[in-house]
Amino acid sequence: MINVLTILFCLTLIYLAVTTRLSAYVLILVLQGALVAGVHTLAFFNNFSWSHLIVAAGVLVVRTLLIPAYIVKIIRQLDMGHGDRTRRYHPGFLVQMAGVVIGAFVISHQLSRFTPVNVIPFGAAVAGIAAGGLLIVRRRLLLAHVVGFLIIENGLFLLGIGVQAEMPWTIELAGLLDLFVLVFLMGIAINQLKSHFPEGESAELTGLQE
Amino acid sequence: MITILALLFLPLVATAFTAWKRSAHINHGVTLVAGNAHLLASLHCLVTRQNPFPGDWWLAVDPLAAFFLTILAHTFVLVVLYSPGFLRRMEGPEYDRSKRLFYPALNFYLLANTLALVVQQFALLWVVLELATFSLAPLIFFYRSKESLEAVWKYLFLVSLGLVFLFVGVLFLGLSARGVADSAALVVPRMADAAPQLNPLWLKAGFIFALVGLSAKIGLAPMHPGDIDATSNAPAPVAALMAGSLRSTAVLALLRFYQVVSPTEVRPFAQKLLVFAGLLSLAVAAVYIWRNRNYKRLLAYSSVEHLGIIALGVGIGGVALLGALLHLLFNSFGKAALFFMAGNMHRSYGSREVNSITDLMRRLPWSGFVWVLAFFYIVGTPPFGIFFSELFVLQGMIRTANWLPFTLFLALLMVIFIGMSRVVLRMLQTPSGVPPQSVAKQERWNLSHALGLYAIAASVPLAIFQPAALFDSLRAILATFGVKL
Repeated sequence: MINVLTILFCLTLIYLAVTTRLSAYVLILVLQGALVAGVHTLAFFNNFSWSHLIVAAGVLVVRTLLIPAYIVKIIRQLDMGHGDRTRRYHPGFLVQMAGVVIGAFVISHQLSRFTPVNVIPFGAAVAGIAAGGLLIVRRRLLLAHVVGFLIIENGLFLLGIGVQAEMPWTIELAGLLDLFVLVFLMGIAINQLKSHFPEGESAELTGLQE
Repeated sequence: MITILALLFLPLVATAFTAWKRSAHINHGVTLVAGNAHLLASLHCLVTRQNPFPGDWWLAVDPLAAFFLTILAHTFVLVVLYSPGFLRRMEGPEYDRSKRLFYPALNFYLLANTLALVVQQFALLWVVLELATFSLAPLIFFYRSKESLEAVWKYLFLVSLGLVFLFVGVLFLGLSARGVADSAALVVPRMADAAPQLNPLWLKAGFIFALVGLSAKIGLAPMHPGDIDATSNAPAPVAALMAGSLRSTAVLALLRFYQVVSPTEVRPFAQKLLVFAGLLSLAVAAVYIWRNRNYKRLLAYSSVEHLGIIALGVGIGGVALLGALLHLLFNSFGKAALFFMAGNMHRSYGSREVNSITDLMRRLPWSGFVWVLAFFYIVGTPPFGIFFSELFVLQGMIRTANWLPFTLFLALLMVIFIGMSRVVLRMLQTPSGVPPQSVAKQERWNLSHALGLYAIAASVPLAIFQPAALFDSLRAILATFGVKL
C-alpha cells in the first residue's frame, strides 16, 4: 500500500510538469499532503504509538489544509490570476520531469544493493526533492518557487520514511511547525514583493546582481 | 543556574520586554544588560570549562560551544553599543516600524543563536538554525526598500533551501547510526563516542549534504549569493552581526558534524571536501573583489574569503585547526570595525558605490582612519590578530606537506590583497570635484570610532600574549577533534 501511495506521489510530479495554473499547484500540494500523511501512518502501522498518530494528524492538517488555504488566500489577495504567465506549457519540462523521476528510481535501486532502503518510497522521495528544485529553476513566478520549496519538503518527509530513520516525534512536529512558519513568512515577503514588483516574477529580482 | 539564566532566560525576557516597551532608550538599556550578562556567562563557561546544564539535557556548553558563545556575545555587545547612534540617524516615519522591531529582533537573534550553539541534538539543531535565520529577516529588511526586500527574499529562500539539504544530512547521519547502540538519538557526544561503528557510506553522504546545506548560511561558495546580498543591503550593525556571529554559528553546526566524522575513516574525505570548499570560496572572493564597485559588497566578499580560510584550516587540521578557530574570533573583531565605518560612510555620502566616496580622509577623518586600520587588519598585516591566525593555517599546510593548497592559498591572498587595496586607496585618495573648503566637513570623534579602534586593537594582545584561559580552552576544543599540540 505504501508503494501505491508513493507511486501516486510521483504521478502528482508529472502533473506538475504539464500545468501552469496556480490552482493546480495548490491541488497538487493538497494531494501530496494527504499522500505523505497516508504513507507516514502506514509506515508505522505495526509499531503504533500516539506520537505517530499526532504527527500524521499534524501532517494532514498543516500540509493539506492550512498551507494550501494560505496560498489560496495570497493568490486571491494579490489577484494573481490563474497561471504563471511567463512560462506556458512546454513539452521539454515534461521530459525533464520524467527524466528526474526515472533517474531517482535508478539511484534508489542502485543504492538498495549496498544498503537497506525501500526502493519505491526512497525513489519517490528523491524524485520529489529533485522535482521541487526543477520547478524553482523552470518557473519564474515567486509563488511557484514557494510551491517548489513545499514539494521539496514533501520529498524530504518521504525520505525520512524511505530510509526508515525514526526521528524523535517532537522533532517531526517541530519541523512541521517550522514549515508553517516558513510559508507564513514567505507569504508576507510575497505580499511586500507585490507592492514593489507588481508582476511577482523572479526575473524582476535582479537589482542586486553584480 | 545563574549561567543558564544569563544565556537563555535573559534574552527571552529581553525579547518580550522590548517587544512590549516602545521607548528606544529603555529598550537599548535592557538589550545592553542582556548582552553583557550573556558575555559574562559565556566568558565564565570559557574559562572554567564547566557545563551549566544538567547532564541529561539536550543542551550543553562544552569548550567548543563556550568559545562560539563568547564570539556571539562579544559581537552582540559591540553592535548594541553602536546601535543608538545608527537609529538616531534613521529619521522619518518610514523607519518607525523598523525601529520598533529592531531591539526585539536583536534580542531574539541572541536567543536563537545561543540555542543553536548549545543544542547537542542534530535534528533540534536544524530547527534552531531555521529559527536563527528567521530572526534576522526583520533586521535585514530594515530600510524597507526594493533592494532590501529582494535581499531578504533571496536570503530566506536560499538559506531555507540549504537547510533542506542539511536535514537530508541529518537523516543520513541517523541512518549511519542504525543498529549502533545509543546513537540513534542523534545526540552529538553519544554519536562521537560511537563514531567508529557508524556506517561510513551514510556518514559520508550525511557530511556532504551538511556541508552543502550549511554553505548557504556560512557563505561558502557556490552557495554564497543570498548571504552576500543580505549582508551588503542590511544596515551596518546588522551586517556586522551577520559577518561576525551568524556565520560563526553555522560554522559550529558544521563542526558538530565534523566532530562525529573526525574519529572515523571518513575523516580524510571530509577534510578534502573542506579544503576544496575553502579554496573555491577564496577564488570566488578574489574574482568578485576585483570586479566590485560597492564597498559593502566588498566587505561581504571579504567574509566569503575569511570563511573560506576557516574551512581550509579545519580541512587541513592540526595547528591549522587552531588557526581556523582564532580566525573566527579575529574575523568577528575586524568585521565589526569595518561595517561600523561603512555605516558612517553610507550616512555621510548617501551611497554604497566606491566611486561616490571621495576625499574620505578630509571629509570623515576619524572614520577614514579607522577604515584604513581595519583594512590593514582584515588583509592580515602584522601585528593584528588575523596575521597570526593565517600564519597558523599556513604552518598547518607546511607541516602536512599540502603544497598545492599552500601555493593556491598564498596566490589567492595576494590577489585579494591587491584587489582590496585598489578600492580602499581609491576611496582615500580620489579628490573631490568640489572645492576643498566645502568638502572639509570635520567629523567629530564618536562612540563608533572608539568601538572600531577597540575591535582592531583587542586582537593584538590576544594574538601576541596568547592568554592561558583562551588557549587552554582552544586546546580542549582541539582535543575533541583528536588534535594535540
